[in-house]
Formats: sequence, C-alpha cells, structure tokens
Amino acid sequence: MLTLNRYSWWLGAMVGLAILLGVAGQLGVLSPVQGVFLRVTGPVEGVLTGIFRPVAGVLSSVGEVDDLRAENARLRVENEGLRNELAQRQQDAQRVKELEAALGLAQGDTSQSRLAANVVHRDSSPFSDVITIDRGSNDGIVKGMVVTSTQGSLMGTVTRVTPTRSFVRLITDTRSNVRAAVLGGEGADGILRGNPGRTLTLDLAQGDIKVGDTIITAGLGGAFPYGIPIGTVSSVEGSTQDLFPKVTVEPMTRLGTATTVLVLMSFVPETLDTGAGR
Amino acid sequence: MRAAGWFALVFGAAAAQVTVAPLFPVAGAVPELVLLTVCLAGAFSGPGPVMVLTPLGAVMLGMLSDRDPGLLLVAYLPVVVLGALLEDAPLPLGHAARTYGMTLGAGLAARTVLGVGAMVGGAPAAFGTLATAVLLPGLFVDMLVLTVCYVPLRLAGLEGGGFRLRRGRYVAGL
Repeated sequence: MLTLNRYSWWLGAMVGLAILLGVAGQLGVLSPVQGVFLRVTGPVEGVLTGIFRPVAGVLSSVGEVDDLRAENARLRVENEGLRNELAQRQQDAQRVKELEAALGLAQGDTSQSRLAANVVHRDSSPFSDVITIDRGSNDGIVKGMVVTSTQGSLMGTVTRVTPTRSFVRLITDTRSNVRAAVLGGEGADGILRGNPGRTLTLDLAQGDIKVGDTIITAGLGGAFPYGIPIGTVSSVEGSTQDLFPKVTVEPMTRLGTATTVLVLMSFVPETLDTGAGR
Repeated sequence: MRAAGWFALVFGAAAAQVTVAPLFPVAGAVPELVLLTVCLAGAFSGPGPVMVLTPLGAVMLGMLSDRDPGLLLVAYLPVVVLGALLEDAPLPLGHAARTYGMTLGAGLAARTVLGVGAMVGGAPAAFGTLATAVLLPGLFVDMLVLTVCYVPLRLAGLEGGGFRLRRGRYVAGL
C-alpha cells in the first residue's frame, strides 16, 4: 500500500485531466487541435494502411476460400435473377416515360449529389464502429450527412468533422439508431440498432417480416432520406404471440472492408431531430 | 532523445490501433495496442515512462479515433496501480508473471471501463455480451500480442525493471 500511496498525487492529477479532456471534448474545444493532428499524422497512417491492408486481404482470402466459393455460387444465381428483374424494370421505366409524355407530366430532378471519400482508418471496438474518411469541412461535409457504400447501401452518418477529415459512425455502432422499414412491407417499420459484435437488429418492428426481406431507410425523423437500402433480414425469432419479433439484419455491404464510401451531399439532415442515427 | 523514442512508440501504437489492428481481428476482437505499449514500457523501464505515456497515449488515440480521450485516460489508469500492487504483493512472482498479471488486469479494467462508458453513452446494457464478446476474446488477443513482444525482448537480453517509484528519478530517467 505504501507504493500505491506514492502514486496518489499522479492518479488525482490524471483524473482531473480526464475530466478536463471530457469537458473539452463535449464543448468541441479539441476539434481544431484534432484537425491539425490528423493532418500531420495522415501520411504515417497512409503508409501503415498501404503496407498491411494487402497482407490482411491475402490472409482473409486464404481463410475464406470455401465461404467465398459458396457466396460466389449464390451471387451468380442472384445476379441472374437481378438481371432479369432489371430488364423488366427498364421496360416498366420506358412505359412510365411514355405515359408521362402522354399526360404531359414534368419529371423532377431526383438525382443525389455524392462525394467520394477514402476510408483512412477505422476504430472498431465491440461497442463502437467508427471510420475516418479523408474529406472534411473543406469539402463541404457537415455533421449529420449520410454516408453510403459505392453501391449505394447505407453505411452510417458523419458525427464529427475537421477541415480535412470526418468521422463516420457506422450503422453497426451500438449508439446508432436508424428508422428503417421493410421494402414493400405494409407498415413494417422499426428502429435499426447496432449491437455489440457488429450485428444489426430491427427493434419495435411489427407486421409480416420474413427472412430475405429487404430493409431500407424509412425517411422518418429527418436524419435519413427515404429508400436507402440497408440490408436483408437474416433471421426472425419469436412466436406469433410476440408483439415484436427479434429481427436480425445482415448489412448489404461489408462495412469492415470498405475502402471507398460516398457522402450524400444533397441531403441536409433535419437539425431539430431527436438524435436518431447520430 | 529517449523521450522522443517513447513518443514515437506510443504514437506508432495509436496509429496502428486504428489502421492495422482492425485488419486482423481474432474472434471479432482487436488488441489494445496503446495499453500493451504502456504495460511493456512499465515492465522494462519502470513507472516513470508509464506515467507520461498513459495520458499521451490516451490523448493520441482519442484524437485519431472518435473516442473520448478522458474516458480512455481513465481506462488506462489501472496500469500504474496494478504494477505497484503486484510489486508489493507478498507473492513469489517473477518478472514475466508480474507483466502478464499487470497486462491482464489492465486489459480487463480498460475494456470494462470503455464498455460501461459506451453503455452510459447510449449503447444497450449488455453485460453478458461485454463478458463473452469483448472481455474474453480481447484479453486473449492481448496476451497473444504481449507474448509476441515480450518473449523476443527478454531473449534479446532486456532485463525487467521494478515498479517501485523512486522520487526524483523518473523525470531524469525519461
């Protein structure tokens, strides 16, 4: 105990420093320092990522050969189905255009402006899943903007911005809440939450939800636009008497291995929301 | 010069924590590289460097990631306490046992603090998951990385120092 007593002054000082850091972080006092630090340390991180990412890719491929073969076979079948569906949709779109022209309807601009960004690093403890991208307020990014994969699937939202970097809280982060709905499901919406271990569950969801259903953003609450694909239902547990079944969702994109993401620049989140998705 | 070396080491650990560690998860867990660096510094150089590297590592990792540096600092504090307690403990512990004990205890404490901090911050209060998905695989990975670092250092002839704080020495030693 004598040895420990000698550290008491230091422990006290560190607790005081921790409180100061916590308060400074909440007030945003550290953000300018953080911006400079991230800019200075960027090259080192780039070198480390450049060296180790290929190694991890090779190791990952070796361990997942069987899984990848099975996934490839499944995706081939799915691809064929999607191609057929696409052909049908193209025919439908053409038909809609013809009908709109016949009715004299003006077509609104539905395009979304997106900004591509590279993932520079990732902090993935079981309770948090945050990536850092190489775009910041200098590029027009603001807190709350929605981030998708290059294929358009939802990845997360921007939670903090420095001039050159932004932190993106992924949907698998335990603090993430997204108002989500089942595509084509009558009133089947709920709150998509991240869980420890980077799984997703759709809470408070009622209605007829089946394995394989596609989950999209519901557009409620103003934090996300409607209709961004999130994932597919991988399991539904609970009896018919349960008010809310336990719905597990598999993200459409591999969140952990993404190297490039897209920031939706044209969607400005509501400022007076309840914090959903932040 | 020595201080610059410690600074580079803890910065390298913090940078590797957010760039390299997520690429090599074991059972979904990644090692706490900054914590391991602090523990190894304590094991081989005594408490002086630890008392400087603990806040430095916490702030650096907090800057590089989206974590609260204050919470990280609290999470890393037990390294010094455990090092001192194990030094004083009336047990016939060798240097390796003390190092492994300190790292295991510090890893347990750090992950618990960070997990509880996340729960207070809005994550679901899942203590079972904290134990099975966070603590066990995380501590296993920590021990693995510690062994990979510790054994070669001992084989290279590095002698472990004590953890007893001698007033006036640690500043000069750093």
